[in-house]
Amino acid sequence: MRSVRATVTLAALASLTLTACGVGGGSSSAGGDQAVATGRPLSGSITFQTWSLKNEKFTPYFDALVKDFENQHPGTTVDWLDQPGEGYSDKVTSQVTGGNLPDVVNLPPDIAHSVAKVGGLLDLARNAPTLTKDYVGSGLTAYTYADLGTGTYGFPWYLGTDISLWNKGMLQRDGLDPAHLPKTFDELVAQARTMHDRSGGKDYLMSRPPGLSDIVNSGTPLMTPDGKKFAFATAGAAAMLDKYTAAYAAGYLPSDVLTSTYEGNSALFNKQVVAWTTGGGNYISSTRQTNPSLVPQIIPSPALDTAPLYVQGLSVSARSKNLPLALAFAQFATDNANQAAFVKLAPGYLPGTTAAAADPAYSRSDGTPQGDAAVFAYQDMQKAVNFTPPVWTNAMDTFLNQQIALAMTGKESSTQALQSAQDRANQLLDQ
Amino acid sequence: MRPHLTRAHRRYTPWLLVAPALLWLAVFSLWPALNTAVLSFTNVHILSGGRFTGLHNYALMWQDPLLRDAIVNTLIFMAVCVPLLTVLPLLLALLVQRTLPFMGFFRTVFYFPVIASAVVVALIWQWLLDDRGLVNGLGRQAGLLHHAVPFLTDRWLLLASAIALTVWKGLGYYMVLYLSALGNVRRDLHEAAAVDGAGAVRRFRSVTVPGVRGTMALVSVLIAVSSMRVFTELYVLGGRTGGVGGQDVSLVMLIQQAAAGSDGRIGYASALSVLLFALTAGPLLLLARWNRRGER
Repeated sequence: MRSVRATVTLAALASLTLTACGVGGGSSSAGGDQAVATGRPLSGSITFQTWSLKNEKFTPYFDALVKDFENQHPGTTVDWLDQPGEGYSDKVTSQVTGGNLPDVVNLPPDIAHSVAKVGGLLDLARNAPTLTKDYVGSGLTAYTYADLGTGTYGFPWYLGTDISLWNKGMLQRDGLDPAHLPKTFDELVAQARTMHDRSGGKDYLMSRPPGLSDIVNSGTPLMTPDGKKFAFATAGAAAMLDKYTAAYAAGYLPSDVLTSTYEGNSALFNKQVVAWTTGGGNYISSTRQTNPSLVPQIIPSPALDTAPLYVQGLSVSARSKNLPLALAFAQFATDNANQAAFVKLAPGYLPGTTAAAADPAYSRSDGTPQGDAAVFAYQDMQKAVNFTPPVWTNAMDTFLNQQIALAMTGKESSTQALQSAQDRANQLLDQ
Repeated sequence: MRPHLTRAHRRYTPWLLVAPALLWLAVFSLWPALNTAVLSFTNVHILSGGRFTGLHNYALMWQDPLLRDAIVNTLIFMAVCVPLLTVLPLLLALLVQRTLPFMGFFRTVFYFPVIASAVVVALIWQWLLDDRGLVNGLGRQAGLLHHAVPFLTDRWLLLASAIALTVWKGLGYYMVLYLSALGNVRRDLHEAAAVDGAGAVRRFRSVTVPGVRGTMALVSVLIAVSSMRVFTELYVLGGRTGGVGGQDVSLVMLIQQAAAGSDGRIGYASALSVLLFALTAGPLLLLARWNRRGER
């Protein structure tokens, strides 16, 4: 009886602890490198999924896009569905494991990499002969993964980057000249010191801890040339982290940038606690909706150092039951005319087509701060870099942030912190 | 009714009655638990893998730089929460059990934190304990503090804050459990002990505690299991990374970090879940033994 009771107790315990923390399994299969037959007329139906784009602004565009395509190809139907912004990665993951990934799907490069790795996406380099002629190289590079060979798994759809945005009133109040904005990290730290000293520590210029982009901007490549190992624990990266550590210790950054109460530099900029943030080329027009009184204070400028490149793309599910139609629709939705019409609704973003990149219209400002911001975004985009390698995982990012926090609070040296983060990233790379 | 029908009725009806509950348990508790144990021996990622890898995931644990901190934090959390949340609600229940003016009001007030969501409660505590929060602000205004107390950045202060939050939030719930148990403790035993000259402390030890021993054991087990699974309090107070440098990470946070995202390592997260189970089972079996000894 006693052994029965012990067994039951253990089973109950297992249920209580393991069930709460347990996780399900996944599935995998391959098939992304197939060739799609494109000779026959298109027919049938497909599903098309976007990410948080069903709203007053974009719904009419997508309705018209789908209607145009269906009119050009009678007998075809495109069912458009949209997923909420939160938890998109989890949603796509469940769609892949459940075998119901939509035929054409909006995926950023990191999620596309995970799906392509299990053969879930069609290799577009094999099926779109004019790919490199039609789409910008930086966008295609984002969807071409060293660990997956030469395939490309997304049509670049729209590109974004960050520019710098400054609070004119705060700069002037603390004796800084809005006509001489910082252009390098060192100038930023120098002006942050001035702002801190003049305001008695109440105003801040800097308000975010460093991350991958700062490591790259310190002149450190994240990986070895063959792309097989991380190698970012360099003297240059440590020197950059030392500068952040010194600035944090001197009080030039809010003390809570390393804690759970940190709201992000954009939120602090909106509250006029900090005078500098980074944001997309449409930052001013979106702020006009949320915080109109701040808009007259905002001055845009190009990004400090190299700007980050944010890419969104359309991918084709390798398991689509109607690959010819899916491929044709993905190309239609990302052609120059449709992309140009799409980004008109979102100033500051650029189409991922070569025709748009060469279009001088994007480099002309209407003279307003928002117009200038869009032009700065266009200029930054020409040399912007996607800082996050596709093999960089959530676990690696969390550990790097933990190590950076240890360095900035003086619990570890910068060299030691970066070395630990690099070692852990390489361990995780092999898992 | 015929005798053989009666026998069949007696034999099968109880099973028929418990069948839905057993089915529920099997599908939603036991099967996932078994599946987790099986997955811990594979290299399953959220979208790929599934090959048997033996004890590889368990070997990887030794390379995990945060595992030691996670185990230490989780065990400390349990070791402090179990006694505090077993004894304090009992004392509180004894206090509010009395029929004094406004006692109903106080019972309700003590129960309020239980109703509030854990995230809301943790956010309130975050605002209280932040460098620019209420506690530090009042301390500075009163001239007691020259520098902010780093409740949310110091490893041990953050852990202590999470424990304090958990105890504060749990008091009311366990108080209600004890109130119902105290109702079953015979009043005449207290009176007899008082007549024999036993003071309040002696009556508490010799009459009240034996009378609610079963409830104390239940409360201890519930707290031990929930403490080993601590997540929300540390996540909200310490952030996604588990405090500065991840020093306040708990085992469940580590499991969540391992399994999160489209690159989640399910096999490894399952191995961590099995470790959590093993660590939880030990103290609970000890508690069960302590309770059986007390019953004898």
